[in-house]
Amino acid sequence: MQLEPTIGNLRSKLIAASCALLGGAPVARAETHDVVDTINRALTDWQLDAALAYYHENGRIQAVEPVINAEHDLADGGQLDFDFTFDALSGSSPNGALTSRQVQTFASPSAKSFAQARHMYTVSSGNLPVDPNYSDARVAGGASWTLPLSRLTRARLGGKFSYEDDFYSATVSVGLERDLNDKNTTVSFSVNSENDFLQPIGGAPTPLSDYTQFEKGGHETKHGVGVLAGVTQVMSRNWITLANVSVDRFSGYLNDPYKIVSVIDAVGSPFGYVYENRPDSRTRRSVYWENRVGWSQGSVTADARYMTDSWGIHSETAQVHLRWWLPGRDQYLEPSARWYRQNAADFFRPWLADTAAVPSDVSSDFRLAAFDALTYGLKYGCKLTDHLGRFGRELSEFNIRLEYYEQSLRGNPAGPPASSGLDLYPKLQAFLLQIGFSY
Amino acid sequence: MKLTLIALSLTVAAVSSGCTSLGVEPWQRELLARKDMQPGGSRLDDAIDDHMYFSKEASSGGRSFGGGGCGCN
Repeated sequence: MQLEPTIGNLRSKLIAASCALLGGAPVARAETHDVVDTINRALTDWQLDAALAYYHENGRIQAVEPVINAEHDLADGGQLDFDFTFDALSGSSPNGALTSRQVQTFASPSAKSFAQARHMYTVSSGNLPVDPNYSDARVAGGASWTLPLSRLTRARLGGKFSYEDDFYSATVSVGLERDLNDKNTTVSFSVNSENDFLQPIGGAPTPLSDYTQFEKGGHETKHGVGVLAGVTQVMSRNWITLANVSVDRFSGYLNDPYKIVSVIDAVGSPFGYVYENRPDSRTRRSVYWENRVGWSQGSVTADARYMTDSWGIHSETAQVHLRWWLPGRDQYLEPSARWYRQNAADFFRPWLADTAAVPSDVSSDFRLAAFDALTYGLKYGCKLTDHLGRFGRELSEFNIRLEYYEQSLRGNPAGPPASSGLDLYPKLQAFLLQIGFSY
Repeated sequence: MKLTLIALSLTVAAVSSGCTSLGVEPWQRELLARKDMQPGGSRLDDAIDDHMYFSKEASSGGRSFGGGGCGCN
């Protein structure tokens, strides 16, 4: 194994300079070389990826998300993988109420009554009701260990956690992979278990309770179990395909504790609001298929997913990425497009009439409505320096990615007569800017 | 849906048939060894996208397990 002389020298000098600075005192030449060799050897077996993403919605949420991932190859052929994410979110979040010609007044989740003026907010006529003081921060991390059981079989153990002020989540997973057919086929099977603890700001509201009565309890929990089976097949020297089938089931508190549903009177004005209620279990099934086809100047990745669940939702997704290396092969462009369509959950109702009984399950959350979504993206990447990596000689990479996401409700569910002419279901538009670095 | 199932069925059928024309020899994997040809090769992009879609849509996952998600959905 031969190091690239120029890069190696530069790297050694940089590391030596760093060591000298950190040491704060002259370091013996031999010791410095030992340290440099140790660091060089250590970095050779690591793959580091880091990114900073900025997400912005039209008039709603914005988020800043730094992410880092590190993979380390072990001497026995195993692998360790670590990732860390931080999210800072702020802005305005829809509370589920329907747009009205009247000014609507709401209480923030932390309010105990409508007498606490500092916890109130109003929404002017014709605007989508959003809580303007939404703010949250999330810390998430994960680790996995892939260990070889034999020349062709590997086990994978993993764990993830996520922490927010009002939500904690812990997930563990166990999986097995086996290579077949001269390592042209890999079959895998994994099981995971997720436990979530919810402590909504102000307490978890009693489902379907009157919004003005502030009937709230303490914390809630939910639990999920899933299995995923997959097969990866090398089709030819430039085509690889992957197919997964997965089933998972969640049970417990599946409501969004901050979402309400408008109750509309005969005239068409908001008569009141009730907290939403969703079924306390949900089973999802999905089929995922991915293809990668490459050639000397680029590659295409195309994937499709079909998902259905016990709430009556089924969705279809298709996505394609085209990576195109520019002449010289040290820069690339990667345009991408994604199409997504889902139908509405059985219990989705954008509003309720005060003359009808409140259903046992109801939610006006737009994420459970029938809609289409489109994403367009463009990524630019350029190689920086040579180094010895997991696949032999590799190049560090800087990249920048821009995505535009648009979500439009399908079928425009009928609104109350008094809302005629109002934009009850405004289009969601968002963009994502991401800067990344790989070593 | 139909197209996805048909395409998936064809792939599974081809794989399970053990057709000898599928697959390559070790010395023919030059393209397949490239990072952009590895499933999961754009891991951070996928993670950031999946989080965005998880928070805005009713469906998620399929490619791998989620978990450690957020309370946003």
